[in-house]
Amino acid sequence: MKVLELKNAHKIYNSSEIQVHAVNGVDLTFEEGEFAAIVGPSGSGKTTLLNMIGGLDHPTKGLILVENTDLSKLKPSKLIDFRMRNIGFVFQSYNLIPVLTAAENVEFIMNLQKKPKKERQKRTEDLLNAVGLGDRINSRPSKLSGGQQQRVAVARALASKPKFILADEPTANLDSKSTETLLQIMEELNREEKITFIFSTHDARVVKRARRVVTLEDGKILSDEISKN
Amino acid sequence: MENLKLAWRNLWRNRRRTMITAASVFFAVFFALFMRSLQLGSYDYMYKNVIESYSGYIQLQQKEWWDEKTIDNSFGYNLKLEERLLSDNNIVNTIPRLESFALASSGSNTKGVMVMGIDPEKESLLSDISKKVAKYHLSADAIAKILASKQLPEKATGNLPLFENVYYDDENRLLQDLGLNVEKKDSYLPVLARYSRIEGEQIKVGEPGVWLGQELAKYLEVQPGDTMVLMGQGYHGTTAAGKYQIKGIIKIPASDISGRIVYLPYDVAQELFHAENNLTSLILHVRDNSDKAIAETSQWLSEKIPDETRIIDWKEMNDVIIQQMEADNVSGMFMIGILYIVIAFGIIGTVLMMTAERRREFGVLVAIGMQKKKLASIVGYEMMMIGLLGVMAGIIISIPIILYGVNHPIVFKGELAHMMEEYDFEPKLVFETVSYYYLWQAFVVALMVLVSLIHPVRKILRLKVVNALRA
Repeated sequence: MKVLELKNAHKIYNSSEIQVHAVNGVDLTFEEGEFAAIVGPSGSGKTTLLNMIGGLDHPTKGLILVENTDLSKLKPSKLIDFRMRNIGFVFQSYNLIPVLTAAENVEFIMNLQKKPKKERQKRTEDLLNAVGLGDRINSRPSKLSGGQQQRVAVARALASKPKFILADEPTANLDSKSTETLLQIMEELNREEKITFIFSTHDARVVKRARRVVTLEDGKILSDEISKN
Repeated sequence: MENLKLAWRNLWRNRRRTMITAASVFFAVFFALFMRSLQLGSYDYMYKNVIESYSGYIQLQQKEWWDEKTIDNSFGYNLKLEERLLSDNNIVNTIPRLESFALASSGSNTKGVMVMGIDPEKESLLSDISKKVAKYHLSADAIAKILASKQLPEKATGNLPLFENVYYDDENRLLQDLGLNVEKKDSYLPVLARYSRIEGEQIKVGEPGVWLGQELAKYLEVQPGDTMVLMGQGYHGTTAAGKYQIKGIIKIPASDISGRIVYLPYDVAQELFHAENNLTSLILHVRDNSDKAIAETSQWLSEKIPDETRIIDWKEMNDVIIQQMEADNVSGMFMIGILYIVIAFGIIGTVLMMTAERRREFGVLVAIGMQKKKLASIVGYEMMMIGLLGVMAGIIISIPIILYGVNHPIVFKGELAHMMEEYDFEPKLVFETVSYYYLWQAFVVALMVLVSLIHPVRKILRLKVVNALRA
């Protein structure tokens, strides 16, 4: 089933004299359950593309459709609501809420969704167990290592049962052991929850584990390959 | 509830900054309440001093008296008028006065004075003037004798010259000024009494005799028991002259009044000025002194009084004092306003820093699905909580201090007290409970917080998530 579709997506930044084509006519489709990596050198347009897919930025031209909903047609508050229900985010620097515990961070989006308390607690517990942090539910982010924080971030992104998860360089700040653990967890969740994962990454270890690799250069798709993994 | 919890926790992520901001609100509230309490307390005390001890709330006067204070502008007073006035439910008693001017003379000293004919007994309904008769006078001679006796501690003998020629109506005040322990008065007072005691007496209706203000007594160089002459113009151009024994020296704080006041029984004054049965003013002692009651009594009386008289209320009699107080009140409010503006800038500074350093976090929250309005409300709660913390602390800490001050006015002693008295200030700071003002504080601080929220709320509502995430 088609989860996400980009049709001729462009993003043009206008500086004082020159135009910068950050994303230049990208056509892409992601199916349910994909585990895809978007790779490319710095400045190739990975993050811009991810921002547009996540509804954080609008394309200058073209369409971004999430299950046939055109994101650019949504009003700002509706778009925020849409993101909350359909898109999970994992950031490079974890970006957990520092004053909330691991459990509260995971529960946060479900709170925004006004889910019943019992359901919230159950899913939080399940997710933190799934990412191997069942024993750290009451720890605040400052008491967790970088790898642990990123695992909480993954659990948070999954909490709302989104259509897909966008992860912008999720392993950039992690050591190899933490990277391995995180990738393993994400792969398992991808399989079990059938949630689409889309990464932007430089990390060869991530690329190696991805089942689809989209390579960008100068805002255009250079290649789109299905891996044998 | 979740938003409140998040706001509360956010408040304590930078504990020191929150404490500093709350402390600035606390100090603003505390000093505003403290200063206001003192200011309102001093107004109230001044009102009580001037209105309740001197002018009363309403007076009956001859029509021309207020504009031209001569004995000719006096009015006839009799039992029938008294009965008519007392038939009003709000009037409890009447206090007669006959005021005029004369020359006071003793030996080779002469001075123009204000002669105040009073009924000492009725006057006590208004003021405690009969208790102000001086009991001690530290004359140069008395001081020399006390020093020679060497019966007082060194500290007191050192202080004695500072209070030369000062009269005392209160033994404790005398001991305090000299730096003596009031609890040991039994050992010190006999020494002081032996050399500085003056025997004042009460003046009584029907008995000739006068009281003088202490500054006038110094000028005329007289003591109780001496005689003085009053001479001036009586009713309708007659000559007023009389010789009277000085019964006592009155200790009046205001030096300009004490330098020109002579009290005598009003019937003796009537005789002096040949104004038999006449008064210049009749104070109507009222049960209820609220503005409404005074207005009603004035209205009712205006139809019952003789044509030659009129009713005048305390506001008209004390218009200068009221204007001074209003001006002082405005300046006090202005100072408090400045205090609040300074604090408001402190709060705005905190808000600016907080907004700037959390921009990325705001971006993340909006990215993952928090509505901007909700985010703005959380920031609003945070600022409200800081404001509340400061206001509550300010109110809670100021209440016992102010209440203590209400029951224990600050009374200055020694040289400072005399210096204040020389400038006609009573050496006393009085507090007042300022009930409505507590609510006013909450309102002002809430307003400050709301104003300081404009910036972060604008920033949040205009937040571009992509830019914020790069911050």
